[in-house]
Amino acid sequence: MAKEMKPGQKRVTAGSVVADVMILAWFVFSLFPLLWMLLLALKNDADQTSTYFAFSPTFENFVTVLSQRGQDLTSVNFGQAMLTSVINCVGAVLVSLVVGVPAAYAAGRWKYRGSEDLMFQMLSFRFAPELMVIVPLFVIYNTLGIFDTKVGMVWVLQLVTMPLVVWILRSYFQDLSPELEQAALLDGYTRIRAFLTVALPLVRPGIAASALLAFIFAWNNYVFPLILTDSAATTVTVAVTKYLGGGGQAYYNLTAAAALLGALPPLVLALTIQRYLVRGLSFGAVKA
Amino acid sequence: MTTTTTATTTAKSLVLRELHKNYVARGRESFHAVKGIDLDIRPGELVALLGPSGCGKTTTLRMIAGLETVTSGDIRIGDRSIADLPPGRRDIGVGFESYALYPPLNVRENLAYGLKARGAKDADARVRAMAERLEMTELLDLRPAALSSGQKQRVALARALIRNPPVLLLDEPLSHLDAAQRQRVRRELKVLQREFGYTTIVITHDQLEALSLADRLAVMDAGVIQQFGTADEIFDDPANLFVADFVGEPKINLLEGVVDEDGTVRVGRDGRLRSSARSTRPGQSVTVGLRPQDSHLAAEGEPSVPAEVVVFEDLLEFGLGTVRVEGLDSSIVVQTPADVRWRRGDVVRLAAPPQRVYLFDPEGGARVR
Repeated sequence: MAKEMKPGQKRVTAGSVVADVMILAWFVFSLFPLLWMLLLALKNDADQTSTYFAFSPTFENFVTVLSQRGQDLTSVNFGQAMLTSVINCVGAVLVSLVVGVPAAYAAGRWKYRGSEDLMFQMLSFRFAPELMVIVPLFVIYNTLGIFDTKVGMVWVLQLVTMPLVVWILRSYFQDLSPELEQAALLDGYTRIRAFLTVALPLVRPGIAASALLAFIFAWNNYVFPLILTDSAATTVTVAVTKYLGGGGQAYYNLTAAAALLGALPPLVLALTIQRYLVRGLSFGAVKA
Repeated sequence: MTTTTTATTTAKSLVLRELHKNYVARGRESFHAVKGIDLDIRPGELVALLGPSGCGKTTTLRMIAGLETVTSGDIRIGDRSIADLPPGRRDIGVGFESYALYPPLNVRENLAYGLKARGAKDADARVRAMAERLEMTELLDLRPAALSSGQKQRVALARALIRNPPVLLLDEPLSHLDAAQRQRVRRELKVLQREFGYTTIVITHDQLEALSLADRLAVMDAGVIQQFGTADEIFDDPANLFVADFVGEPKINLLEGVVDEDGTVRVGRDGRLRSSARSTRPGQSVTVGLRPQDSHLAAEGEPSVPAEVVVFEDLLEFGLGTVRVEGLDSSIVVQTPADVRWRRGDVVRLAAPPQRVYLFDPEGGARVR
C-alpha cells in the first residue's frame, strides 16, 4: 500500500535531495558568469585581468562608457547606440505584432492547403546560422541602399521576431474556443469586430509575453548589426564588443560595464510585465 | 415594466431541403458530411437531432446557424430562405456546447453584448426581464468563471434567447452537467420552450435526453436522417437496423436467423420466433431484432426460443436476465418484471409478440417488413 500524501505535503526522499542539489548546482553554474561580469565591471584597469574576488571596487567604468573617453576609445557613442537599439527593437516588435497577430489568428483558426508549410517556412530563415545568410544580405542591403540604416535593421530583426510572435500566438488563438467568436457572429458582429473585440483581448497575456521575448531576441542580436551597420545604426551589442579592442588594447572591465548597461532595458521591461509573463508563457492559461 | 421585453415570438417553421455538406480539399478525398437532409419542423416544435459522434448532426446545426457554408440545398425559416445570409442576419439563437460565455464580462454584460451589436436601446431592461424570467437575477454581476456549469448553461440559454429569435439551436445542452442537474435543466428547458414557443432543434448523442425533451426525433447516421418521428414511432417501429440498435435502453438484441417454410424465423438450434413481417421468403437470412422489454415466457404451443440463464441482475424495478441459446454466438438480454427471479442454470422458453420481432436485411440493415 502506498503511503497517503496530503496535498502540499512534501516527502523528503533521496531522489528529492539529489534533485535539489542538482538544481542548486545548475543555478550556480548559470549565474556565475553574471556574477563574474558584475565583478569585472567594478574592477579598475590594473585589476581587470586578475581572478581575485578581493579588490577595491569602482564605478569609474560605467562613467567611462557613457563619457567622451568611451567614445574616443571605440569611436561609438554608447548612449546613441542604446537609443538606436531601442528604436530598432521597438520597430521590429511593432512590425511583428501588426503583421504577426492577424497572421497568428488566421493560422490558428483556419486550415488550408499549405498552411502548415507556410508556418514552417516562416522559421526557415532561422534554420541556417546567421553567418550563412549574412553575405547575401550584405549584398542586398548595399544594393537597396539600406546598409547602416535603422529601416534596414528593423527589417532584418523582424525576420527574427516575427516567427516567434506568430508561433507563440497561434497556440493562444487555438486555445480560444472558436465558439466565442461564433456567438459574436450570431449576435450580428462582423468577422473583423469579432476578432478585435472578442479574440484579441483574451490573448493579451500572450501578446505581452511574445512581444517581450521578441524584444529580447532582437536586442541581443549581434551578427546582423555587426555586418549590416557601420556607425549610423550601430547597436548596443556591437558597441559593447568594441571595448575588446580590435587590435588595440582590450578593456575587459569596460566591456563588462557596457554589457551590464546594455542588459538594463530588457531587464526593466521583463520586470514591468512580469505579471503577464508568467501567465503568458504557461500556454493555455486563457481558458475560461 | 415594459411589455415588449418579454413578448413571445411568433413561432415559425424551419425547413431543410436536400441539404448537403461536402468538404472538398484539393489533392485529398472530399468528405460528404451531410448527404441531402430533408426536415420539416413545425412552428414551436422541439426536435432532437440524435446520432453518434461524427454522424453530421453538428455540421447540420452549424449550417442552419450560418457558421458553415451550405454546399447545396435550402434552409427556410417561415417563408424566408436563409441559406445565403450571414449568421448575424438569420435571426437564430444558438446555445453552444461550450456555452461560449465571454470570460472578461459579467453575466449582465454577456447578455447585453448581442443586443448592443444591433444597437438596441432597451438592452438593460431586456437583460433584467430575461434574468427574471430565468430566475437568475442574483447571477447578473458575476463573471462566468464564478458560475457552476448549471448556471453557465442557464446564462448561455438566456444569451441565446434574449434576441427573441424564432428559431433556437442547442448543441449538446446537457452534456457538461451532472446527473441531478441534467434532470432539472431538462425540465426547465422543456417548460421554457413551451412557454416561449421557439422552434427548437436540440443536438444530442444521448437518447434519454432526446426522448425526454423532444416532440419528435430525427435519428441521424452517416450524414443521413435514418428516421424522423415521435419517440414511440421510433421505438416501436424502427426504420432500419441502425435506428433499432441506437435507440433503446437496454440495447436491442440482434440475432442471426433464417426464415422457415411456415414463415417463422429459426434462431439458434431449436429456437423459433414468429414475426409480423410479410415480405419474407423461406430460406432468407435475416437479422432479428428483439428488445429486452419485449420478450416474455412462451405460452404452450407458441413458437419460442429455449435458453439457459447465465446471469440474472435484480435491479429492483425490474430484472435483467442474460440467457444463452444453443447454436447462437451472442447471448440475449431479457428484461423481466420485478417479481420474477431467475437463477443461473434455469431453462426458460422465450417468445415475443410478432409485431415486436423486427427483421432486418443483414446486408445494409434495411427493415424487412
